[in-house]
Amino acid sequence: MDLITWEIGRITGLASYAALCISIVSGLALRTSVLDFLAKNRALRALHDWTLWLWIPLGVAHVGALFIDQTARLELIDLVVPFQTDYGQVAIGLGTISLDLFVIIVVTSWLRRRMNNTLWTWIHRTSYIAFLALFLHAYLGGTDFDSPIVSAISWSAAAGLGLFAVSRIFFGRLAE
Amino acid sequence: MPAWGLKLGAAVATLLALAGSTDYVTHHLKNAAAPLHPPVEDAVAVEATPAPSGAPAPSGTPLPQLVPTRRGQTRPSSSPGPLITLQPGVRATALPQVTLTHVS
Repeated sequence: MDLITWEIGRITGLASYAALCISIVSGLALRTSVLDFLAKNRALRALHDWTLWLWIPLGVAHVGALFIDQTARLELIDLVVPFQTDYGQVAIGLGTISLDLFVIIVVTSWLRRRMNNTLWTWIHRTSYIAFLALFLHAYLGGTDFDSPIVSAISWSAAAGLGLFAVSRIFFGRLAE
Repeated sequence: MPAWGLKLGAAVATLLALAGSTDYVTHHLKNAAAPLHPPVEDAVAVEATPAPSGAPAPSGTPLPQLVPTRRGQTRPSSSPGPLITLQPGVRATALPQVTLTHVS
């Protein structure tokens, strides 16, 4: 049983990372023109909104499996308050920060119409910090991150997103 | 490309990532170089300690202390194993020495 939860935790961790990369790149594409060759902003927006249903179940499965896992020994407080574990404090704590931020981002996205738009925008921008924390969580704590193939794909995806994010910050939306 | 095409592409990409991850993880169940090693030893020691109560503790064979090596595998370490001495085992013989007479 323990091995199954451990495997599910690792599998869903990797898959949710991939799904989250798709979600973030589709979000970045709304403010840059990196995917203009593929689709119009309306379709990209629909994709960005819909990708929640890809990465949330996988993320929940990742956290849930490791919470159930007897060897990982996570407690409920570890899912909310970072740096409380008795091992791998930084690595797991970064995952907790990422989880907390993504929960806030998703909830505020659902409440967007009832919120001040500027506040919502700034909260939504913390997704960059959340993704950075997630990447460091995977880098510092990921069991499979030292594998060349997993590492190459993860670093490439993170580097691509970083490039898009920098272009978004410095250049904004490129001319059509 | 329409929105449904993008969604389909995203779903397929995620499923491929899921399938690839499943294949990778099931073929690499253990990684001795994994950065996180939960302290299994403490948990086992706590479980092996009898609860403080009035009843006498069961007197059975004490469980060996488990020391984690890699995930899912433990090795007993309650008593040290036999030591192997690696000393030279070559002994001199009483036979006459071999003399080479070959000349090239």
